Amino acid sequence: MQHVLLKAIEVAMQKYGACYAEARAQRLYKTMFTLKETRVEVAKQGIENGVAIRVLVNGAWGFASVGSFDSDILLSAVSNACVMAKTASFKLKTPIKLATTKPVIDNVGVKSKKNPADIALEDKIRDLSQISRAIQTFDSRIKSCTVDYLDLTGSNFFVNSEGSNIQQDKMFVWSKIAASAESSGVFTFSREEIGSTLGYEVFDDQHPPQEIGEIVAKRAIDQLSAKSLKGGKTPVVLGPNVVGVFVHEAFGHLAEADLALSGGVLFNALGAKIGSDLVTFYDDGTIPGAFGSFKYDDEGVSAQKTLLIKDGVVQGLMHNRETAYKFNVQSTGNARAEDFRVEPIIRMRNTYMEPRDCAFEELLEGVKSGYYFKSFRGGQANIDGTFQVGIQEGYEIVNGEIGAPVRNASISGNTLETLLNVDAVGKDFALDSGRCGKGQTVFIGDGGPHVRLSEVVVGGSA
Amino acid sequence: MAVLEKNEMLTIAEKTVQLATAKGACEAEVYVYEEQASNVGIEFGQVNKTDQIIDRGIGVRVIVNKTVGFAYTNIINDPSTLEAIVVQAISAAKASKPDSDWLGFVQKKPYAPKLNGTFDSKILELCSEELVTLSQNMLDSAVKVDKAVLAAEGGIGKAYFSNAIVNSNGVYGFDRGTFIECSLATLAKDGNKVTPVCFEFNAARNYNVDPVWVGREAANLSVSALKTKKPIKTQTMSLILTQFALQELLGYTLFNAVKADSVQRGQSPFKGKIGEKIVSENITIYDDGLYPGGMRTGLFDDEGTPHQKTLLIDKGVLKTFLYDNYTAKKEGKESTGNAARAGYLSTPNIGTTNFHIMPKTTLADDMLLQVDNGLLVYYLQGAHSSNPVSGDFSVVATPVWKIQHGEIVFAARDVMLAGNIFEVLKNVKIVGNNERQVGGLIAPWIMVDNVRVIGK
Repeated sequence: MQHVLLKAIEVAMQKYGACYAEARAQRLYKTMFTLKETRVEVAKQGIENGVAIRVLVNGAWGFASVGSFDSDILLSAVSNACVMAKTASFKLKTPIKLATTKPVIDNVGVKSKKNPADIALEDKIRDLSQISRAIQTFDSRIKSCTVDYLDLTGSNFFVNSEGSNIQQDKMFVWSKIAASAESSGVFTFSREEIGSTLGYEVFDDQHPPQEIGEIVAKRAIDQLSAKSLKGGKTPVVLGPNVVGVFVHEAFGHLAEADLALSGGVLFNALGAKIGSDLVTFYDDGTIPGAFGSFKYDDEGVSAQKTLLIKDGVVQGLMHNRETAYKFNVQSTGNARAEDFRVEPIIRMRNTYMEPRDCAFEELLEGVKSGYYFKSFRGGQANIDGTFQVGIQEGYEIVNGEIGAPVRNASISGNTLETLLNVDAVGKDFALDSGRCGKGQTVFIGDGGPHVRLSEVVVGGSA
Repeated sequence: MAVLEKNEMLTIAEKTVQLATAKGACEAEVYVYEEQASNVGIEFGQVNKTDQIIDRGIGVRVIVNKTVGFAYTNIINDPSTLEAIVVQAISAAKASKPDSDWLGFVQKKPYAPKLNGTFDSKILELCSEELVTLSQNMLDSAVKVDKAVLAAEGGIGKAYFSNAIVNSNGVYGFDRGTFIECSLATLAKDGNKVTPVCFEFNAARNYNVDPVWVGREAANLSVSALKTKKPIKTQTMSLILTQFALQELLGYTLFNAVKADSVQRGQSPFKGKIGEKIVSENITIYDDGLYPGGMRTGLFDDEGTPHQKTLLIDKGVLKTFLYDNYTAKKEGKESTGNAARAGYLSTPNIGTTNFHIMPKTTLADDMLLQVDNGLLVYYLQGAHSSNPVSGDFSVVATPVWKIQHGEIVFAARDVMLAGNIFEVLKNVKIVGNNERQVGGLIAPWIMVDNVRVIGK
């Protein structure tokens, strides 16, 4: 395999005058199915082959993707990428340059107790059906449940014109579980995602099917008796699941160097104090088994633990080689591509807040009237620092005690104001698995401890 | 690389259907898809990147004794891989449980003889130099508007795509199309003040886009979004929802509520309400898979059922749901041609085609005049966190402008909207005449009243 890729790079450099070239090949195997109630909607299996070629010619990027390992097809892709890049370069004011990085030669295998490739499809369907059954038998007010399953295995080959040559095997196991409930015209919905790069054993110890089914079902049922909440500014306590998505959406995207360079609010923020002393965030690609972990990114740079903000002070951004050059730093190993069809761009890995020393009860104690938001449903950030996180499970806090459930809530604000309002941070910690969309979808992790915000805007319809 | 010809695609599909039935499938359906796309991208204020993707593949769906299995590959020129995925599809079916509602794949029906406005050879012929020039023109026209404007990202892309569908019941179809899109996201900066991202675009099936207009409008929006004044107080207001806001709000809620699958599974508030008035009488909606030049227009859906124009809501009254083959047969009905795949890697699910909210006669300016105290909502943030079943939403409106006594007076920040989309649709007061196509939605501006706005 590497032989064909090296040839493609050589042609880009010598025949077309590229100053940098890389080739990334993948062979991917996927197994997917969807359970709707007790029915297996359809089980799917697939094989994909493909190569992505990326070149820098006169300071402009050219990228070509083909679903083939055939050397003639690859060479024609190289030609297209180089010719198009050259055309784009005519209008350039600032040619693209890359931060230097050490060439890597490595072969990274997958170690797992239970590789999903070795498990029969029947057994996967049987195991995941336990989740559907747990949901459906939980309460007669459950109206529907949908369980999606995906496992992805395969090999990645990466070579570049600087001498890197990496083979990296991939393995992901993922499932999304959703349930809806209805009672006298009130409709509720609950979802959960699980994911692992450890192996299929994620269903043994971390997330037993019965347990995950009951969590999702119970939330849908509890929400039936929830009331709408009043909108406005109020103190809140956020659970690790909401803190994770807040760190990811509200801060993480702003700390992606490409968005910072596009006019984002963190462009000139290095060394600035933007949060309370309790705010320390990392983006970490090295946590074993976490859904956003990998050894090398899609530019052949080692994943690492990147400190983004410490005690409220901005320490760094997430970079690929292109943005690292612009900021005169090293790449942080955040260049990721969904697959061979797309170019690598700056993406998060496992993004989280560091715990401190408060017990959960201490966080609640300080709140006379507010909300406890335990679990999220979606979130989105804007480059100006406006964030929104939807809540699927929330409760009132009355005089320091958790009260009645509330529904249809979300929190919103400006990140830079909100981080200053972090006034107590818990000592617990949890990391969740999810997917992030930025034109492409990648697998990520996010999390943190329980956190209290002295105030935030809560959207409610009452 | 040359595109796959009609006969090549149909032959691969037909042969694979035969292979599947020979290997033991009771019924087989093969979908072959190809896409060839080129894009020129703008990043960090300059045209600096290009890409080209050639993606083709095949998906095989089989029924074996009332169980269904599917397999796909993008290695379509290798007979041994095709045989391997046929075997995988059959083994996937055998690993599943029988479903007595599986009453077979689609039966053959005639397709429209020809569609207008879905294929334009001029798009195919556009070379990368032209795409670079058009991108540069778009960028220039944006930054010319005001020096506060930054072009965050954007570009121009063109695509050719084709698909073939063949099944063992005689379905045999081929269709192809073209697409071009130019888009630009800008923001404006004044000292420490940054606007939210402001986006404009043109997309068409024929070569009919205006990059200079896109650049100028995106820049105008962000300059206007800089002009903030005072915070909005929490209150109940009228809203004018633009097409972008409608697409976000409806896409995660109403679109699902009219799918037969949601209805059959108790996930739709419209269950049992055919013939009832469910939204304002000002609302008439078609799902139109044959809409001339529509983004989702094609001869047939992704199972091979002919596309059609379906009246969904007539003056507020629910007329039908949207069906694919499986959900239709389950109720003894005909599919409405709403099976949709996300390429060859996916199996069909029910999807809207061109969701057409019918325009009325009110001009945009006259609509503004009807608003005494309200907001003009361009985009929403967080609409995907809406409750897809109940329609409850709690989202950020950004960018958004304050309307007072019929005039846009300033840009507003820190504005949230909360409510229930199905209730909001009962309060539609005015439907505009300014329809435009945004993805799978064709709609004009819509004015609603009584929406909860949470301010600062």
